[in-house]
Amino acid sequence: MKLALKAAIFAIACAMFGAQAQERVIRIGVVMPISGPGSYFGVMGREGIDLALEQVKQPINGYRLQVQAEDSACSPLQATNAVKRVLDQFKPHIVIGDECSDASLAIAPILEQAKVVQLNAGSVTMKLTESGYKYVFRIFPNAEQQSLPLAKVAYERLKARTAVILYEKTNAGNDNADGFEKPFVAMGGKVLAKIDFGRDVNDFTAIATRIASLGKVDVLPTFALEGQTVRLSQALAQARVVKGGGGNAVQMGSIWLPYGYDQKAGQASQGYVRIVQFDPTENRKIVQDFIKAFHAKYGADKMPTHINAHAYDAILLVAEAVRRGATDSDSIRDRFTKMKDVEVTTGRISFDPKGQNSDLSVVHFVETQNDLSWKGLSWR
Amino acid sequence: MPDLLALLVQQSVNGVYLGCLYVMVALGLTLIYGVLNQINFAHADFVTVGAFTAFFTATRFATKVLGLPDAGAYLLSMFTALGAGALLGLAVNAAVFAPLRDRGDELRPLIATIGVSVLLENAQLALFGPIPYQFDSPFTRETIRLGRIFFSGQSVLVVGVSAAVIAALYAFMRFTFLGKALRAVAQDRETAGLMGINPSLLIGLTIVIASALAGMAGALLGPVLVLSPFAGASLIVKAFAIVIIGGFGNMQGTIIAGILVGIIEAFTVQYLGSGLIDLVVFVLLLVMLVVRPTGLIAERKEENV
Repeated sequence: MKLALKAAIFAIACAMFGAQAQERVIRIGVVMPISGPGSYFGVMGREGIDLALEQVKQPINGYRLQVQAEDSACSPLQATNAVKRVLDQFKPHIVIGDECSDASLAIAPILEQAKVVQLNAGSVTMKLTESGYKYVFRIFPNAEQQSLPLAKVAYERLKARTAVILYEKTNAGNDNADGFEKPFVAMGGKVLAKIDFGRDVNDFTAIATRIASLGKVDVLPTFALEGQTVRLSQALAQARVVKGGGGNAVQMGSIWLPYGYDQKAGQASQGYVRIVQFDPTENRKIVQDFIKAFHAKYGADKMPTHINAHAYDAILLVAEAVRRGATDSDSIRDRFTKMKDVEVTTGRISFDPKGQNSDLSVVHFVETQNDLSWKGLSWR
Repeated sequence: MPDLLALLVQQSVNGVYLGCLYVMVALGLTLIYGVLNQINFAHADFVTVGAFTAFFTATRFATKVLGLPDAGAYLLSMFTALGAGALLGLAVNAAVFAPLRDRGDELRPLIATIGVSVLLENAQLALFGPIPYQFDSPFTRETIRLGRIFFSGQSVLVVGVSAAVIAALYAFMRFTFLGKALRAVAQDRETAGLMGINPSLLIGLTIVIASALAGMAGALLGPVLVLSPFAGASLIVKAFAIVIIGGFGNMQGTIIAGILVGIIEAFTVQYLGSGLIDLVVFVLLLVMLVVRPTGLIAERKEENV
């Protein structure tokens, strides 16, 4: 009898210990597009996440990081279903996602209600951190943080007085376009046209023709996904609007474009000026270590993009929060709120009271040269 | 040339080019509907398969294995895409459409086209990944300028190939035995069967021709599209609209409607804004459905295809 009692106590103790050991996990849900036109976001994001997980595979303060990913297809409806599935099945402490603004906005209230932290690494819409959500944090510069410097550089450095704004018809595109227009007009510039387009537009010749008919255009701020921007640049060059086609206008862009756009657009990208946050040529050790590890895992000929880097950074930030004592969603939120100057590959992270990273110290401008390489510009 | 006239001519040229791209996609759809009375939701995915076939032929096989120059490689890729489309059509018809048709159910083949579409998209996603491919034909970056009017070498190729395909298809339908037999099947399948024509064989042939056209459309569109496994999806809704505006199953109507929609789009971009393209096209579609439900060219059913 005594033996049976001892065995029972031992079994219960083992079960309790096992349960406790199982619980010492920080569950990270990932909601990103892995289907549809924006699926490259999810694939690149996943590469960054996998690389980071490899580097933090040892438990931190006794906690290991566990990830479950779901496909959002960049669609608000699918993202909503994906996040509900993750919440229901995986019970995450934090969700990384989405990349697309419309999808990010759709999942924010659900995560807020569930009191689960949303760490966003790729959306620009202002509404995400301006809607009063307490569990939303974003390391990606928002529309204003990207568009305002673009407007200033256009007006002050490039001496541009006329602009045509080109943008996709999404929350992200609208916010970026407005974010450029307001300060540019306030400084004295004139916006000749704001041209929006759906993600299903393939041929941009008619748009380029229209721009060519508008008279002298100095700058063309462009807010679209990579594939459309490539076609747009080629059409603008063909219509002799931009420098790459022998015209005078400078096409400008935001952090949206991944590294490699210039090679895809070819000669049409010459003279393209854009704001970048992740610059593979940057000398910071963390950047070069990341590139080295990325090459080791994915091949020497594959250069990481800002999408890889932001997703990688998101995992590093969660790890940092755990290192600082976070054990659940509320304590992750608490640690994020207090984070100042945490160095990651895409700069330094200091969240403002709205959950937006306010440190833009590494954000700078580059210009595409005739050989399609980047020339770093000192403008801020 | 005065500014306004140059602008009008330029946008008309842009519109005709865009219209020809639409026609190339819509022709296969209308051909299948004309003969089978069936909508093929997988058609856009056949276009994507054609685009990927052309991409790998032009950038890998023809240049690196055969050592062809870029222009020759691209032209060869158009034919491999045509062949890939035809083979895919043959396989899908034999494996899916024909068995379902033999059961005499009209709904199942329709639903099967949706299944084939999802299957093809996901198979391509698994094979090629989601990151868009950059497919430039050697003609894309060649710009031809006539005074103030410009167009790319690719647009000349698209218009030329479209015209040749339309002429060949017309000649096939009007002057060959198989073409006449196809029209007979479209007119009355049972009576055609009684006249010694094998309807199943001709329906299979229709699917093969339509799929081959989709493959070639993919080769022409590849350098225009953002090439990914979902590339065709951006075209299919517009292609359906064109088929309806032209008159479902009516080839002449589809050609006119395609070019008309292309021109309307170009002028919508110029004078109303590119954000209103879909609104304008679908208002036109609704007007057609209400005012002239038979489409632009109303013909008797037997004269379709």
